[in-house]
Amino acid sequence: MSKVLVVDDEPQIRRALRTSLEAHGYEVFTVGTGEEGVVGAADLAPDLVLLDLGLPDVDGTEVIRRIRAFSDVPVIILSVRESQLDKVKALDAGADDFVTKPFGMEELLARARAAMRRALADEPAPAILDFGSLHVDLARRLVHSNADPVHLTPTEYLLLEAFVTNPGKLLTHQWLLRRVWGQGYGTETSYLRTYVRTLRKKLGDDAAAPGLITTEPGVGYRWIGEAVQARQ
Amino acid sequence: MRVAQRVREFLQPSSDPSAVRTATIGVGAALLATVLALPFARTGVEAAIPFYLLGVVVASTSGGLWTGLTAAVVSSMGITFIFAPPRFKLHVDRLEDVLATVVFVVVAVVVGLVVARSAETRERATHGERDARFLGYLATKLLSGERFERVLDDVAAALLEPFGLAVCRIFATLDGREIRAEAARSEPAAQAGEFTEAPILIGGVTLGRVTAIRAVGARPFSATDRELLEAAARQIALAVERARLGARVRGVQVEAETNELRAALFSSVTHDLRTPLASIKAGVTSLLTGTVHDPEQQRELLTTVLEETDRLNRVVGNLMDLARVRAGALVPAREATDVEEVVLAVVARMRPQLAVVAVRLQIRPELPEVFVDPVQLDQILTNVIENAALHSPVGGEVTVSAASYRDTVEIRVADQGPGIAPEDRERVFEAFYRGGAEPERSGTGLGLAIAQAIVLAHGGRIWIDGAPGGGAAVAFELPVVREREG
Repeated sequence: MSKVLVVDDEPQIRRALRTSLEAHGYEVFTVGTGEEGVVGAADLAPDLVLLDLGLPDVDGTEVIRRIRAFSDVPVIILSVRESQLDKVKALDAGADDFVTKPFGMEELLARARAAMRRALADEPAPAILDFGSLHVDLARRLVHSNADPVHLTPTEYLLLEAFVTNPGKLLTHQWLLRRVWGQGYGTETSYLRTYVRTLRKKLGDDAAAPGLITTEPGVGYRWIGEAVQARQ
Repeated sequence: MRVAQRVREFLQPSSDPSAVRTATIGVGAALLATVLALPFARTGVEAAIPFYLLGVVVASTSGGLWTGLTAAVVSSMGITFIFAPPRFKLHVDRLEDVLATVVFVVVAVVVGLVVARSAETRERATHGERDARFLGYLATKLLSGERFERVLDDVAAALLEPFGLAVCRIFATLDGREIRAEAARSEPAAQAGEFTEAPILIGGVTLGRVTAIRAVGARPFSATDRELLEAAARQIALAVERARLGARVRGVQVEAETNELRAALFSSVTHDLRTPLASIKAGVTSLLTGTVHDPEQQRELLTTVLEETDRLNRVVGNLMDLARVRAGALVPAREATDVEEVVLAVVARMRPQLAVVAVRLQIRPELPEVFVDPVQLDQILTNVIENAALHSPVGGEVTVSAASYRDTVEIRVADQGPGIAPEDRERVFEAFYRGGAEPERSGTGLGLAIAQAIVLAHGGRIWIDGAPGGGAAVAFELPVVREREG
């Protein structure tokens, strides 16, 4: 049974999450402060942390930083819509995803499953990824769309690789820039935008009805392509 | 005292260029007069005097009082030495020649005085005009309504030129906030010369000061300079007072708007907050009664609860946003933002809500980036597109277009609904205004009010147009990225 640690100072939210998550077969621990959250993440070794950003004692971003010092456990942020900047900071600090309050359980459960699946799949990624009409061969660096080869520049390929190896995860502008362009980058969102646009075009994805990459304005991008099957 | 100083300057080889100039022009004018009068040397003193007077006038006009006097003294020596018999001796025999020379000197001195005075008056008038222009500029600048820190920076820079300053510093306190402005000429070498200060006084209380520093070796500050500096300080004091009162007025305005909002909130609370609450409570209590509901009924009750929760959430979120934007708490985190990317992201996310309409996009290629908060642009677009969908007939078309005009990008969202009469077009931006939307499809009545508040916070504008085919179009303009801001 997967263990979920809920860190939220609102007793009603803790109760609602406990009931709903237990009904879906999770073992649930709840705490009300950031300090307890960090200790819980260490002692209980949970498979997932649901972290409220508006804690009374420690800043949510600080909680993530401290947890990341000893653990790679997936962390999903529960935030209100107003705290956009805090959300970006928390994601940059190492959070995996966020869900906006008030959220539907279905959405939360889907995000939780995706985050835990990514954590488990941390063993070597399959060499060939199949997203239906799109095939990405990570070993040979070959990309095919509907069996036709897609010609990508080295940077475009690195960007695609960053996306497909982190499916479902919200990747912030800063994270993508550092991963693809290097440590010295982080604020050049215009570059990133241009490359994402070209990549979408080459992969035949429509930004108004995306099947592969979605945009979170002001935050980053998410790969939503569903891997059909994974071959070694 | 001054004469003694002048004489000393005269005798010593002086480094003061003005003393050398006085001597050169004075002696030169007298010598020129001598040369011109020489042909009439035998006629005597009477013939020479007009030439010498002319020399004195020329000297006074071009060099001022002391130059004129120098010319007069040298001329009187010339008269006695060359023209008055016995010639080439420094004494005069005839009484009338003595008288003529004395009268000449008196006339020369009077002419010198008058000419020099008129030159001085002329110079003062020029100065006065310059001062008036400067004070006028200062007043315009200080009343321009720009940000005060920036205004003071500009004023400090403007003070450099007329005062010939190396550095100008302005320090003022505004509602307990300290504002410092400084301007300096490019060469930092000699910035520690003579300095003078003028206080910024408001109601007898010193709220700051203007410090003027000249370069090492520059001319000292005159009384006129100090007067003008004090006048400038008085102008700044008035501007500080005005800024202080302005801030207070704005505070009162925000408070008034908040009160108005609060009143509107109370008046609509019954409908907008209680209605969904009533449905939720009815649904949940029905499920809790113990009466057996069939799965179909359960599903219907729970769907109502979910929908009403979402609606309640929208109303609360919108009210919060409106209050925050109006209170100036939602400060835009501006960055270079691609309009097309945000439009596409919003359309992609709103797909479920837009299922009953057709969305058409007309985004011009090569659109410049706008300098806005991308999250807030997302919110404007969400609200405006949601509004268009609400007022569209089923199967109608919502067109989102974007094009650039000069230094703005105009985004337009048109629907094929009933349209809005010109006299109602301003009112749609009021909170809780709900045009003719059917009650069950109505939004919160806050979407466009929030969109307007955010657009205004970005220095843009938003308005309603008619759309081709009779619908309405909400259009708004946002500033494009200026160079060096991206």
